[in-house]
Amino acid sequence: MAGRTIVVTSGKGGVGKTTTVANLGTALAKKGYSVVMIDADIGLRNLDVVMGLENRIVYNLVDIVEGKCRTEQAMIRDRKLKTLHIIPAAQTREKDAVKPEQMKALCGELAQEHDFVLIDCPAGIERGFKNAVAGAQQALVVTTPEVSAIRDADRVIGLLEANLLKDIHLIINRLNVKMVKKGDMMSTADIVSLLSVPLIGVVPESEEVVVSTNRGVPLVHERGSRAGAAFQKIAARLNGENVPFDDDQDGGFLSRVKRIFGG
Amino acid sequence: MLKAIQRFFRERNSAETARKRLGVVLMHDRLDISPDLLEALKNDIIEVLSRYMEIDRNSIRVDFEEGKEYTALVSNVQVKRVYRNVAAT
Repeated sequence: MAGRTIVVTSGKGGVGKTTTVANLGTALAKKGYSVVMIDADIGLRNLDVVMGLENRIVYNLVDIVEGKCRTEQAMIRDRKLKTLHIIPAAQTREKDAVKPEQMKALCGELAQEHDFVLIDCPAGIERGFKNAVAGAQQALVVTTPEVSAIRDADRVIGLLEANLLKDIHLIINRLNVKMVKKGDMMSTADIVSLLSVPLIGVVPESEEVVVSTNRGVPLVHERGSRAGAAFQKIAARLNGENVPFDDDQDGGFLSRVKRIFGG
Repeated sequence: MLKAIQRFFRERNSAETARKRLGVVLMHDRLDISPDLLEALKNDIIEVLSRYMEIDRNSIRVDFEEGKEYTALVSNVQVKRVYRNVAAT
């Protein structure tokens, strides 16, 4: 089996990379796929808490790379989904504990046995970024509708392309439809045209995200969650399913017309 | 009063402001052109043009314009007088 390795990156910190990885991984596993999520943020690990698996860590990414354990020993199985695993980052090590070639080898190994390998990239564009990107065939760039996040996303896209990683898609996180309508937030169309990278999904701003990380249960488990539904759509598109973009998140013209005519 | 009106209109559409500002910022980031480099470029253009015509050195402007599939360098400069017989000398 040759699985796909996908890095989730952003440049700027705090835009929702870990939340995105946790939700996409969970959504893909719910579809029945075998998924491994790697936390590549060495020294600042967080995927474990977002997934509610912080109490089960014995070995980590650096232990695998240094040969202190077998790969499977560091893989923690999700509480609900049997085909979902995470490999946590080391919390007390430096970013240079892992080399890009080692990440490449590990990702290759994991892709042999799993359908999806999702890599949670650290913020920044230094060593940790290079490690996280090294083993990936595809990249998802996460941004929020703010100038700083978009600028950093543009920089990261340039670096990815320079690394010959050209399969890049954009996720816009925390879009606030009301603010877009008022003209106080850039729209999906604005951001896509600035970055000129194909869009794979838009996640609305939502308080549910905070609640879900408080609990350590990804939103895609929650029925009726709008942000969770948005992540599910992205997972489906990643899987090659043809999920139409409604312009609803954008407060677009079409959706209003549809609503008037009961469409 | 006028200021209040201006502020009202400016604050209404901060998304538009953000979009325009980002457009310029991204272009500079992508081209990796520093203000120093831009200044050097201007001086070189002035030097070359001055061999053929008298120009207003203070009027020169160099801007980048983003088209759909290209980036154009647009330079505007005021010509005072074109020298005669430049080619001959």
